[in-house]
Amino acid sequence: MLLQFEKVSLWYDDNRTVLSDIDMALPEGGFYFLTGPSGAGKSSLLRLIYGAERPSAGRLSLFGQDVVNAGRKELMNLRREIGIVYQDFRLIPHLTALENAALPLRLAGADNEYVLRHARELLEWVGLGNRLEALPTELSGGEQQRVAIARAVVNKPKLLLADEPTGNVDDETAVKLFHLFDEMHKMGTAVILATHQQHLTEKFKKPGLRLKGGRLTSPMTKVA
Amino acid sequence: MALPHKLFIHSFRKRRLGWFFAALVLMMVYLATFVTAAEVTLSAVTLSWDSGVQSRLTVEIPAIEDESATPQTERAQQALAILHAMPSVAHVSMVSEQETLGLIKPWINQPDLLKALPVPILIDIERKAGATLTAEDVRQALKSALHDVRVDDHANWLSDLGSFVNGLTLLGLFLILLTALTLMICITLLCRSVMATERATIDLLHFLGADDRDIAAHFQRLTISLSWLPALTGFGGAVVSAMGLLYYIRNFADTALLSTSHWAYIGATVLAVPLTAVVIASYAARLSVLSTLRSAP
Repeated sequence: MLLQFEKVSLWYDDNRTVLSDIDMALPEGGFYFLTGPSGAGKSSLLRLIYGAERPSAGRLSLFGQDVVNAGRKELMNLRREIGIVYQDFRLIPHLTALENAALPLRLAGADNEYVLRHARELLEWVGLGNRLEALPTELSGGEQQRVAIARAVVNKPKLLLADEPTGNVDDETAVKLFHLFDEMHKMGTAVILATHQQHLTEKFKKPGLRLKGGRLTSPMTKVA
Repeated sequence: MALPHKLFIHSFRKRRLGWFFAALVLMMVYLATFVTAAEVTLSAVTLSWDSGVQSRLTVEIPAIEDESATPQTERAQQALAILHAMPSVAHVSMVSEQETLGLIKPWINQPDLLKALPVPILIDIERKAGATLTAEDVRQALKSALHDVRVDDHANWLSDLGSFVNGLTLLGLFLILLTALTLMICITLLCRSVMATERATIDLLHFLGADDRDIAAHFQRLTISLSWLPALTGFGGAVVSAMGLLYYIRNFADTALLSTSHWAYIGATVLAVPLTAVVIASYAARLSVLSTLRSAP
């Protein structure tokens, strides 16, 4: 099983409930759109998956491993199996496109020659072969997001999480980016793509997880 | 594999933090090197005085105003003859009157008064290596011919000097420890400040799969790269200052007393200071990063 939520809830100290009783089980290798209006809890759900936050209640496992009680070492190993794409790209401003894309491989301890060759190949795959040495500030929004995608998939993750990856680009660029995610999925990576742009998801025939007010509303995703 | 060097370097350079860092390391290394140099030189000089004086005894033939008594120089010659005949004595020499007056001169610098003083004649005795000749042995040997001589083995003076030098050594060690502690505290605060500025990047690195040790090792390398040059500069400055000081005090402390091995010991100890400072700075950075990251998501 790729991901399993059992009665997962998340609330903060000020009694603000973000997610309530999420129950779902996702098999490996799928492509899922996580949709819902702004503030529905999409980002929080993704943050629970990559361990940026711990659930207030319930059980959550990823690749069959308990995320809730994972120690720092286990969490680090789990994160090395995940690629994350953010709406605001989160590229490191002082590093070039190539250095940004290569970061996860460096953290995994790969040798320098492999790191550079593979990061370069991925940037060529996302269409940025001629912008390897450009700093993020020298790239357009769409280009920055493609660098972020290259960074997210450079270490061949089992799961790719994308949090509103097309929120800062126009529709035409957004469709191109969706195609990149689709290509990654076809290569065997599971994808969970959070977006509130439902008109874009309709072009791709993928199962959807719909959140509303912190609750999962799409019945097809409920645990049997 | 190491993270890119320029990852956090901008935050160190921002708001002149880099300058502050360099100045801090430079001053701390300057202080520590200077104190260490002073301390080891003092210890070495004391050691050489100690070993030089410990093998010696001084016989004092007092001046007697009674004109019927044997003249002072004649009594000194008698003493010399007795001392020469002693098997444990390696060398005996009479200290010249000029040299003896030179010892008093710093306190009484009036030629007329000096001439009128009943200045004793001093005889310097050097023991044979391994001989157990004591001041009392010499006094007993001279007693039959000269009942009023005084024999000094410098024990009191050496004991006082030893206590004084031990005190200074402890003070120096305390200053060095204080300097190291200050350096560690400042590096810790500096690293925490940079980490607060780079919070988003550090979180991102964690989400990309970074281990706390990866980030700590990066800060450690960054600290080394930022501190080695100021450390060497501080070291150079301290060495120049110490040499200047030695030149200034050359009349009070005879550095010729120091052997080649003493100088080698001083050099090695002082050279270790900038290296130790860089190691301390880098480990302070590592520990502060690791302790701060314990609360990271």
